[in-house]
Amino acid sequence: MREGFDDVEWLARTRAEGDLEAWLALVPYARRIGVSALPDPQGDGLLFRLDPREGNVGNVLLPALHGGVVAAFMETAATLDLMLATRAPRLPRIVDISIDYLRTARMAPTLARCSLLREGRRMGNVRVCAWQESEAVPVATARLHFVLGNPAEAGA
Amino acid sequence: MIHGQTSSDADWRRALTRFVTVIPHTRELGLEVLEVTPEMTTMRLPWCDDLLGDTARGLIHGGVLTMLLDTVCGSAVLPALPAPEVCPTLDLRVDHFRPGVAGQPILAEARVVRVTESVVFTEGTLWQETGRPLARGIGNFVRLGPRNTPEGFAEALFAEEDDHA
Repeated sequence: MREGFDDVEWLARTRAEGDLEAWLALVPYARRIGVSALPDPQGDGLLFRLDPREGNVGNVLLPALHGGVVAAFMETAATLDLMLATRAPRLPRIVDISIDYLRTARMAPTLARCSLLREGRRMGNVRVCAWQESEAVPVATARLHFVLGNPAEAGA
Repeated sequence: MIHGQTSSDADWRRALTRFVTVIPHTRELGLEVLEVTPEMTTMRLPWCDDLLGDTARGLIHGGVLTMLLDTVCGSAVLPALPAPEVCPTLDLRVDHFRPGVAGQPILAEARVVRVTESVVFTEGTLWQETGRPLARGIGNFVRLGPRNTPEGFAEALFAEEDDHA
């Protein structure tokens, strides 16, 4: 059996186990920029973390993380969080993202928390907040829309 | 020479090549600047397997497209200004029309729609096959002005190859 998001049994099993490592292993760009997931100390959910890697720098003068890398981190977080949070296994496909850059993201770990604001039959809406020093001082916020695909139909 | 600018399109192509080569993330991905005019900037991101967002289905990570739009729109800002200023991204909106597929480079173009005293409005498009856009981006950039632009920013962009540290 081939492991992948389009394998219904694999997806259901990894989802039940909350095995985000298995999911991230199939997302090379997220691995390249250094995305990981950790239990949220304040609840049942997850926090996501972006490693402050040299290769993520977008401005060498400050230095600051590349805004596009921060966006890619937030999109990864939103996608994985959504895949865990939906009522049944779904395969999200991004429709659009809108990101506001509030502060310079320095060469330090960046954390993100996601909220699934709506899970419809076809569409999901996720809000993401990313911060460094303190959650009350976000470096960026984003909102994303996803089409919620049926994993049983994706493998064709 | 357009609008009496002293830098030619070829100078700007070299300057933006330097700009994306100094940025570690885009340097390591091998981003190339193909063409620069005061109106439009075109780039090419070569294929590498790290761009994938789903290895099983061979699809490009949506975040790669956002990163590329941020880069191409932010680069297009520079030749549109009276003098180069540092312009961080204020906000960015990306619409995903179809997924990008493994094995082919991604082409990116961006144009500046309007420059005001404080903001530069841009829009960009990505594609792998002509006429089949992958994504559209709308990026707004803040002009920090000469006071907040580090000294030597313009000189660094246009420096000779061998003076570059």
